[in-house]
This record gives sequence, C-alpha cells and structure tokens, in this order.
Amino acid sequence: MSTHLLGLIVALPLAGFLFNGILSTRLGGERLNETAVNLVACALPGVSFVLTLVCFMQLETSGKPLIEATYTWATIGGQGFEVGFWFDRLAAVMTLVVTGVGTLIHVYSTGYMHGDKSHARYFAYLNLFLFFMLLLVLGRSLLVMFVGWEGVGLASYLLIGFWFDDPAKAAAGKKAFITNRIGDAGFLIGMFLLWGAFGTLDMDAINAGFLGPKAPAVSASLVGLMLFIGACGKSAQIPLHVWLPDAMAGPTPVSALIHAATMVTAGIYLVARMSGIYSHAPEASMVVAAIGGATAFFAATIAVAQTDIKKVLAYSTVSQLGLMFVALGVGAYAVAIFHVVTHAFFKACLFLGSGSVIHALGGEQDIRKMGGLARRIPVTFVTFAVATTAIAGIPPLAGFFSKDEILWFAFASSQGGAAWLWALASAASLLTSFYMFRLLWLTFFGASRMTPEVEHHVHESPLSMTGVLVVLALLSAFGGFIPVVHYLEPMLPLPAVPESLHHLEGTLVIVAVVLAFGGLFAAAWFFAGTAQRAARVRETFAGVYRWLANKYYIDELYEAALGRPFTWLSDRVFLQLGDRTLIDGALHAMAASARRGAAAFGALQAGSLHRYALYAVVGVLAAVLWSLRHG
Amino acid sequence: MDRSQFLLWVSLALFSIGLLGLIVRRNLLVMLMCMELMLNGVNLSLVTFAQRGGSVEGAVLVFLIFIVAASEIAIAIPIVLLLVRDRLTLDAGAYTDLKG
Amino acid sequence: MIENLLLIAFATAAVTGGVLMIVLRQPMRVALALIATMISLGGIYGLLGVHVIAVFQIMIYVGAVMVFMVYAIMLLDVRDPSFTERYSRLLWPGVAACTVLAGVLMGAVWQGGIALPNGLGESFGVQPFSAAFLNDYWLYFELTSVLLVVAVLAAVAVVQLRSVRRG
Repeated sequence: MSTHLLGLIVALPLAGFLFNGILSTRLGGERLNETAVNLVACALPGVSFVLTLVCFMQLETSGKPLIEATYTWATIGGQGFEVGFWFDRLAAVMTLVVTGVGTLIHVYSTGYMHGDKSHARYFAYLNLFLFFMLLLVLGRSLLVMFVGWEGVGLASYLLIGFWFDDPAKAAAGKKAFITNRIGDAGFLIGMFLLWGAFGTLDMDAINAGFLGPKAPAVSASLVGLMLFIGACGKSAQIPLHVWLPDAMAGPTPVSALIHAATMVTAGIYLVARMSGIYSHAPEASMVVAAIGGATAFFAATIAVAQTDIKKVLAYSTVSQLGLMFVALGVGAYAVAIFHVVTHAFFKACLFLGSGSVIHALGGEQDIRKMGGLARRIPVTFVTFAVATTAIAGIPPLAGFFSKDEILWFAFASSQGGAAWLWALASAASLLTSFYMFRLLWLTFFGASRMTPEVEHHVHESPLSMTGVLVVLALLSAFGGFIPVVHYLEPMLPLPAVPESLHHLEGTLVIVAVVLAFGGLFAAAWFFAGTAQRAARVRETFAGVYRWLANKYYIDELYEAALGRPFTWLSDRVFLQLGDRTLIDGALHAMAASARRGAAAFGALQAGSLHRYALYAVVGVLAAVLWSLRHG
Repeated sequence: MDRSQFLLWVSLALFSIGLLGLIVRRNLLVMLMCMELMLNGVNLSLVTFAQRGGSVEGAVLVFLIFIVAASEIAIAIPIVLLLVRDRLTLDAGAYTDLKG
Repeated sequence: MIENLLLIAFATAAVTGGVLMIVLRQPMRVALALIATMISLGGIYGLLGVHVIAVFQIMIYVGAVMVFMVYAIMLLDVRDPSFTERYSRLLWPGVAACTVLAGVLMGAVWQGGIALPNGLGESFGVQPFSAAFLNDYWLYFELTSVLLVVAVLAAVAVVQLRSVRRG
C-alpha cells in the first residue's frame, strides 16, 4: 500500500540540516543560540522516530509493505530510474534503530558538544547524516540506497574531520572517505551487472528475480562478491578496515552513531536485503563468512593491546561486525539483523559512556592514566558495566541472545556452517569478553593513575548525557527479549539445520557462557589492582605485544605497498611527465610557435629597402604571369 | 625577329638590369641611378611602340616622362643629401627606420 | 644595312652600360656608365627617326639629370661600407628574381604575347610633335610646368628648412 509518511521521515532531518546549516552557522550569521539549535536538531529526528512508529503500526495492520514512489529521476533509453521508498519488516527494524538511537545520540550531543565553537555545524552535519542513512535504509532501488551510501560516507568524512584545524583529524576523515570509495567501486560494478541482467535496480524485483523459476542472466556469486566488496568498505572488514580506528578522531557521539550503531551496519543491511542473491550464491556466502570470521578474530586480538579507550571500542566494533558477516555468510540473515539491533544498543552505550569518561577527565583518553573512577562517576560506571556485560555475552543480557544464535548457526547451518567457523567466532567472543572487561577494570577499578589536576576535576556528566546512558543501558539489558528474528522470519527465513546436530545446541550454549565468564575472570585476574600480572605477561611476550599494539603494521604495509607507489606515479608520471611536459609543454609549444611565426612575419618588415624592392619584383612577376596566362 | 622586337628586348633588359641594381647595390646614389636606368628602359619601349604605330602620342608621353624624371631627381638628391648629412653614410643598410 | 649594324651597336652599348652600372665600384664610374647608356639610347632614338626625343634625351637626361647626379656624387663621396661591399645581402635572390622576370617578359615578346601595332614605322619631326602636344595635350603641358615650379620650390624648401633649423 502506498503512503506519504516515508518521504516525510526522510525529509525531516534534511530540513534540520538546511535550517541549522544555513541560519546557525557562520554562513548565515549565527542567528540562533545554542538552545534553539539543540531544539531544532533533536526535535526533527524525534518526530521521524514517531512517524516510523506510525508506519510500523500500519505495517502491522496491513501486513503488506508500504511503498512510496516520489518521482522519476531520469529516463534513459526507455527505462526509468525512480526515487521510491519501501517499508517492509526489515526496513522497519532498521529505521526504528536508526531514528531511535539517532535521536538519543542527538540528545547526548547537546551535553557533550556544549560550548564547542562550531556547535551548530556539528548538529547540521549530524542531521545530514541521519537524512542519508534514512535514504539508505528506506530506498526501494539500489540507486537510492547508493545515494544514501555515498551520503553517509560524506557525512562521516565531515564529522570525523570535524575539528579540522588538527591536520591528523582531517587526515583521518580523508582516510575514511577514500577507503569507503574503494569499496564503492565494487558496489557500482555489482549495480551495473544487476542492471544489465534485470533492467531495474528495485531491490524487491531483483530478489524476486533470483528466487524465481528462471535463472537470471548474471552469476549470483559474482554480483554477491561485488556487493560484498562495497559492504567491506562500509562495514570495515579486512582489508578495508583501516579507516575505522582512525575515525575515532571525531567527536565521541559521532563514533557512537556512525561507527557503532548505524553507518557501519549499512553493509550488513545490504547483504541482508539482497538475501535473494546470497541464498543462491554459495561461493560468495563462503567468502563473506570467511572474511567475517577472520576479521572478528583479527580485530579482537588487536583490541587486547590497545590503550586508547575509544580505539578498544573501535576494534571491538570491527570484530562484532565480523561476527555479523559470519551470520550472513551462513544464511542466517535475520540473526545478523538481530545482532545489529543489540549491538546498536550496547555499543552506543559503551561509546557514549566512554565519552562521559573523557568528559569527566577533561579530555584524557589513555586508559593507562585512568583508574578508580567507579565511585567518582557512578552513573557512567554502572551503565558502562551493564553494556560491557552485554557485549561479553553474559546471560540474560542482550548480547548473549544474539551472539549465541550467531555461534549456533556458524556451527550448524546447512548453508555453510562449519566447526572451524564456529571455533574462530568463539575465539573472537572469548577475546571480546576478555578485552572488554580489561577496559572496564583499567578504567574504573584499581588505584587511580590519573594526574592530580585531572583527578581534582572529575565530575559526573550532565543529565542530557547520563539520561541517554541509562536508557541505552536498559535497552542493552532487556533488548535481547525483542523478538526480532521471529518478526523477520516471514521474509528472512532461518537456514535449515541438519537433524544430527540438533542435540548439540544446548552444549554450544553452555560453551559460549563458559567462555564469556572465562574472559571476565581472566581479565579480573590480570588487571585487578595494579595489573602487575598483566605487566609481566606484556614483558614476556614483548614482541607479540608490539605487533598487536601496532595493529599488525597494516597501515605501514598499505603505505609502502600502495601509498608510495601511487605517490611516485602521481608525481613522476602524471605531474612531471603528463602535466608539465605534455600538457604545459604543448601549450608552451603552441605559444612558442605563434611567437616564432610572428617573428618570421616580422622579419618581412626589416626596414631594408633592398628587401622591399625584391618583394616588389616578386609581386610584379606574379602579376605578369597572371596577366599572360589570363590575358 | 624584326627591329621592334629587338628594341623591346633591349628595353626589357635595361629595365631588369635597373631593377636588379636597385636590389643589389648598397650605395644610395647608385640606387637612384638605377632608377633612372629603369625609366630609360621604359622610355625606349614607349618610343618603339610610338614609332611603329605612327602615333605621336607615345612621344608626348615620353616627353612628359622626361620632365617628371627631372623633377624627381631634383627632389631626390636633396633628400639624399640631408639624410647623409645626419648619418654620414651612403650605405642603404644604415637607413632602417622603416623597420617593424 | 648600316642602320641595323648601328642599331645593334647602340643597343649593345646601352646594355653594356647597364651591366657596368651594377658591377663598377666607384659611384662616379657608375654615373659615367649611365651616361654612356643614355647617349646610346639617344642614338637609338635618332636611328628610329624620332629626332625630337633624341635631342630631348641628351639635353634633359644627360645634360640636366646626370650633371646634377655627378655634382651630388662629387659632394658626397663618402668612403663607407657601401664602397667596400658593393652588394647587399640579396644579391643572388635578386639576380634570380630579375632573371626570371626578364625571361618571362622576353619570352612573352618572342611568342607574340605582346601585341605590336601594325604600322609602317615612320619618323616624325618637331612640327607634328609640337602640334599634337600643344593642341591635344596642352593641359598636361601646363601641368608639367606647375610640376617643375613645385619641384623647384620643394627643393628650396627642403634645403632651407634644414638651414633654418640649424639656425
């Protein structure tokens, strides 16, 4: 059935961007004060959330997806590109998360960004991001989704490099955008292949085409791989994961919204949405699962050795996204979306909690200089602890339910589940529990390692921040009981499990819980008190520790293998040879030839009378010859 | 070949030699004299045509050319005199004020 | 018979004088070569029977123009580069161009490209000449007088102007 609310949901944040961007920034003369900016920026996403709920109700009552076609963008060769919105169960779940968590983070930002000199610009960009993200999840065709895809990349760049006066932060923004673009090449190729095969980019039509009786003209695995390359870029999987840790240069609410809850899950959403393709592409699904598992483990090992509170959380995000891709790779699309939802809750809570800690410590982000904060900032501590327990997978919090389903299907799914995949994912989960509790212990427990003046100014964050933390902590605690998988089952059925493996389900659950608690106790043992045991292990395995702390030197590898050759190519071949020698040389040669031609003509008038006489003779000769011929 | 053709050849030869002298010689006065030679060549051809055709108009034109040549030389030589008084040379290469 | 011989002799002398003009180094000798050419031409006119023109040739050209030229040469005999280096840089291009021009024109005359009037080749004396001149061409006669006066004035003015400016 058709509706007009979807366009409104998308357009409201855009209106917020335009309003704040034009009037409240230096562009328009900073006409509104902070309170007005806050009000506009938070109210519009809030209204979007309410409208999403309304649409959700409509979807429940009607049972059929809501469709809204707004206008035809272009008609090329008889085939049209329409801008339309599509609201089915999957889109409902994603939109509720995006608008709900988005609004909460907007409210948190009012407290966090209080007093910042570019306050209005921040909220304008944040609204812009929300607009593009909604375009992404609500778009009907891959083209609209791609517009949103690019747009969130743009907003991410703007927000990561928000404090652009610092060149390192600006460089982080550029890195994010460029790495995304590399993935987008794959996305575009996938789109081209699909357009060539189907003549339309509407996702429902493509899925129906793949699930239908006739085999489509393009290989599902090829398209699946291409789209997955795009997802790798956006969701920070190997080898395009390098931008996410650097993206922590942006303000913490940005990290929470974009790099934990919403933008990075766009890749998951793409694969889940195109489930029709992936369910018919076993090779591509295998690649998805393998890369997901490898990334999950790889990122978890790095997180163990990180000392910046936000970097730990960044690698944790990469690892959790890997787990989601494992679920997608074995055909459990609904389970991956469930983990997206719970991950949004606890990861946002963790990031915002870290923001609260940073705010309390006046900007300190190094966990080696924290400690003993549990009693000083209790609300932050409790919410952070709840979220940590959730991500570690300790029952009955949200993380336990979603992660457990992923591990089960990684082992037992008939569409690619294998023991090695389960082992890899479980190892990642163990490490997750370990490093998250390490973070908790080093930040909040033990003796204080803070400098005296920082310690003196430690204070709890304002209500705008702690209130949001409490809400998210409650969601992390009870969010596991939301029946997301069951709700999505009509459109994203769970993969079949062979009969022989059914009895192992209970065993695997117990193993997962044991691993989670194991991580907790290991972290407590190593890092409690003065963390001496951890220091000794660190010295014993100094080499391994250095490799992990330096992220396996991947950035250095990229710089040497790709960055330097490209710079050499750009400088030597394109700049000096192509631009200076060929293009400038051609222009200079043209000018020089014009000058030489002019000089040659100028030589005719040398002032020499003899020369003029000679010209006269030649002229007379010509005239005589002509008259003789024609006379 | 009759007399008229022969005389036309002579006149053409004189005219060409005069023109050549104008191009090759560097002395200003010699260039002036070559111009006189050209005029003489033209006069010869005019007289040849007039005498052959029996018309006296050609002779009248020759007479007028005499007068014009005399007037021309009366002006040209003072001009050369004045030019040479400034530059102190009769070399045509020194007079390049028409350059450019 | 002797007329043709004389004609050829005078013609040869005229052309030789012309060639000498561009070969000789000293301007005075060049002037003398030109005088020789003019006298030969006068001889040719005489042989043709137009004695009027022959006399005027000698009187005006040799007697006035060349004498004036000789005066100027005597006055301005400067030993400058034009004396040591007779020829300009355009010697060979000039020779080539003029040879071609002469060749083309002479060839046209030889092949009859230039139409000669069909006449008997009579000579005429002073009487018909001055009758035609003063009857039909008296305007041009007056104009030439004006021209001569203007020439005299101009020459005087040019020289006077200089001496006035020199103070």
